[in-house]
Amino acid sequence: MTVVHPPSSAVPGLLAGADPPFLSCLAWDAGAPWLLAAAGEAPKPFLGFLDPGRLWLLLLLAIVCAGVVACIGLARSGRPMKVRRMPALDAVDEAVGRATEMGRSVLFVPGLMDMNDIETIAGLTVLGRVSRTVAEYDAQVEVPTARSLVMTAARETVEAAYLAAGRSDSFNPDLIYYVTDEQFGYVAYLTGMMSRQKPAACFYLGKFFAESLILAETGNAIGAIQIAGTAEVSQLPFFVAACDYTLIGEEFFAASAYLSGEPDQLGSLKGQDVGKLFAASILVVGTALVTVGSILGPESAPAKAAAYLVGEILR
Amino acid sequence: MGDPRTIRVVVATDCGSTTTKAILIEEQEGVFRQTHRGEAPTTVEAPFADVTIGVINAVTELQELSGRRLVDDEGRIIRPARMENGRPIGCDIYISTSSAGGGLQMMVAGVVREMTAASAKRAALGAGAIVMDTIASNDRRRPHEQIQRIRELRPDMILVSGGTDGGDMKKVVEIAELIAPARPQPRFGGKYELPVIFAGNRDAASAVRDALAVPGIALSVVDNLRPTLEQENLGPARDRIHDVFLEHVMAHAPGYDRLMAWTDAPIMPTPGAVGDILQTIARRRGINAVGVDIGGATTDVFSVFSHEGAPVFNRTVSANLGMSYSISNVCAEAGLDAIMRWVHLPMDDRELRNRVKNKMIRPTTIPQTVEALVFEQAVAREALRLAYQQHKEFATTLSGVQQQRTVGDTFSQSSGGRTIVDSMALDLLVASGGVLSHAPRPAQTALMLIDSFEPEGFTTLAKDSIFMMPHLGVLASVHERAAMEVFERDCLVHLGTCIAPRGEGREGKPCLSCRIEPVAGANGAADDGSGAAFSGEIPWGELRRIPLAEGQEASARVEPVRGVDVGAGPGKPVERRVRGGAAGIVIDTRGRPLRLPEERSARCAAVARWMKEIGAID
Repeated sequence: MTVVHPPSSAVPGLLAGADPPFLSCLAWDAGAPWLLAAAGEAPKPFLGFLDPGRLWLLLLLAIVCAGVVACIGLARSGRPMKVRRMPALDAVDEAVGRATEMGRSVLFVPGLMDMNDIETIAGLTVLGRVSRTVAEYDAQVEVPTARSLVMTAARETVEAAYLAAGRSDSFNPDLIYYVTDEQFGYVAYLTGMMSRQKPAACFYLGKFFAESLILAETGNAIGAIQIAGTAEVSQLPFFVAACDYTLIGEEFFAASAYLSGEPDQLGSLKGQDVGKLFAASILVVGTALVTVGSILGPESAPAKAAAYLVGEILR
Repeated sequence: MGDPRTIRVVVATDCGSTTTKAILIEEQEGVFRQTHRGEAPTTVEAPFADVTIGVINAVTELQELSGRRLVDDEGRIIRPARMENGRPIGCDIYISTSSAGGGLQMMVAGVVREMTAASAKRAALGAGAIVMDTIASNDRRRPHEQIQRIRELRPDMILVSGGTDGGDMKKVVEIAELIAPARPQPRFGGKYELPVIFAGNRDAASAVRDALAVPGIALSVVDNLRPTLEQENLGPARDRIHDVFLEHVMAHAPGYDRLMAWTDAPIMPTPGAVGDILQTIARRRGINAVGVDIGGATTDVFSVFSHEGAPVFNRTVSANLGMSYSISNVCAEAGLDAIMRWVHLPMDDRELRNRVKNKMIRPTTIPQTVEALVFEQAVAREALRLAYQQHKEFATTLSGVQQQRTVGDTFSQSSGGRTIVDSMALDLLVASGGVLSHAPRPAQTALMLIDSFEPEGFTTLAKDSIFMMPHLGVLASVHERAAMEVFERDCLVHLGTCIAPRGEGREGKPCLSCRIEPVAGANGAADDGSGAAFSGEIPWGELRRIPLAEGQEASARVEPVRGVDVGAGPGKPVERRVRGGAAGIVIDTRGRPLRLPEERSARCAAVARWMKEIGAID
């Protein structure tokens, strides 16, 4: 049990500095009790329409959303949305071209996780582009999966890409197949297959864990062009070191907008960047206030501003 | 062909589509010099239909000018050079290039457009051909469209590549199966067999041979030009193109069988010879060089840049960028606004359109007024800029190559297919073509080159005033020293040196400080006082000319401000010897990339100021 001194404004009739007739045994939020009860009474929760303490958060949300909507509007109006070059996605043609010239297949690995994982979905988005290029070059793409649902989704993605390229007759569903749910069973199959068939281009786009380096090293050893993409931070260094090109974290999710070039997607991507820029600027301002405040003392204006930023705005 | 040490007198001709140009090269006091020049209309078309008539006419003019008898009573070039009745007669060797009848027109094919097909295109262009089209399995055309295209274009020769050794066979054979039914009709001669050179996957050679075993096609197989994707081997394909050019194409062109018998070295396609001399210069001087030849219909750009320690030669032909037949296309491609940004005089749009169309239908006209000249040079700037842009996009590192990475590459993953053309590394820029060679003032040529190529760092500017480079290209294959001596002394007219920093800055703010002191000339010439010393700061947005006569050299020390690069890295000073010329030393602080003021009156004022400063206008 903790005795608290709530602000006088929190409870009507309470005098500032007076002994609190309250006992708090309740949850805390940002350093302030959120539920108070008079001694001897049971706390009564209530549902409010709006938490006035979080109006700042509403404002921040509105700014980010407005940024996204404005950028989508600008993109739709024809204003060019510059997205920086992503060599990994530009290299798709190069990788598929290499496979075509060498008369070998393209291997696409969509990761270990199922369709409920956002990275798997992002990977299948890129698979659409890869298979379209494969169809145009009249090459072959092989997609072994670790989840049956991913296999179904991948088949539909590849079929749609072949159809869009006008080569539906070349689509072979047997090249998109399920291997096993077991992590290392799947990896053992992949490395064995890579060593035997020596695909000229390998794509690893999805959720990866310990197998990332095993796959990337095998691909490197067989002389394939390798393009990887994952948001799994711990696996990124392995992919960067062993693959030719790597989509890093956010880049992987931006791939869809980058590849499609559609105004809505590009505008949304830009809008998110505006939000990130805004968040980063708050971080910089906060850091500066806290630093200056710690030098000038807790009663200084920067220290108070920092406390307000943390306690009220970012509450 | 005799011993090069016995060669004293050389006659060289270049049989162009309209004019046959002949030059006489003689050894004088131990040094080879170009002494006389003659020209005559080319006679490859009816009613003459014999190229040798034009050659003899051009050489006859040469003999009249030089006083040396070169043609005997039977209309043959006299050899060897000797004295007869106290008068010099004959020459030791006769050599020739040819671009008559449209030059060597080729089609190339490969499996992937950006890989083997691009290599085939590089091989064909490097050999001096005009590439009419590129067939590839990913060119988005249906087979019947590709067959129709081959049939319509009627190339002189087809180069087929595709697949690495041990790689793809299916698509390579499919390409051969497109050519067989197309059976393009030859441009020359009814008995002409279409030469097809196969330079692809060696495992596919026998299947290709079977597919092309049809009447009317002469197949030859050479080494794969992409044995692996990491390696490009253009030499065998280029050599074979030269051989086939002589055996098939030239042998069927009117009068070329006689001409081939006369020459002491194989006849080369004109652009191929230009490429050869540029490579020879780059190799001997250890420099990076770019050559440009802007014609009426096309613009050729040649470059030799060092890449991974070896010089790499590239040539592009911008087929629709030229100053007469293609002038409308230049206007359409660049846009009238882009052209007009170089014009400082008020001009009426309607009048300009008329001027463009008149130039197209009357290609031999030359500007009669200052306005017409300024406009024509503005068009030339854009044609050159676009041609150089296309060249940069073509002259790239190999595509489809496996990269080796480290964790340090996380945020800088460079890809294959990057351009190897680096304006900062460019040492010599050579211009030829009417609008550049015959500009009324050398400063105009220099300014056109600077505006369109935007050289960075230190770049020597020169022009080939009488288009002698093709002759010297063939001569280099016979007598390299003679070719180099003539190139240095007579071929190039040095315009000067351009010093330009990479980067951008606000107009009027400090850019660099520079100290230039004339020293003894390149050929040992003493400082005659025509070169002025200069020392001072130059702000951004300027074009400053420091006079330094041709043959003179100066020591230049340039100290850029922080963040600005003149060749040694941002903010680092550079000290180099620079060469003078008709335009002197030009210090260009307008920034790279070059941006002109947006507002019209400010832009006109700036362009006029720059032109006056460099001496392009009064």
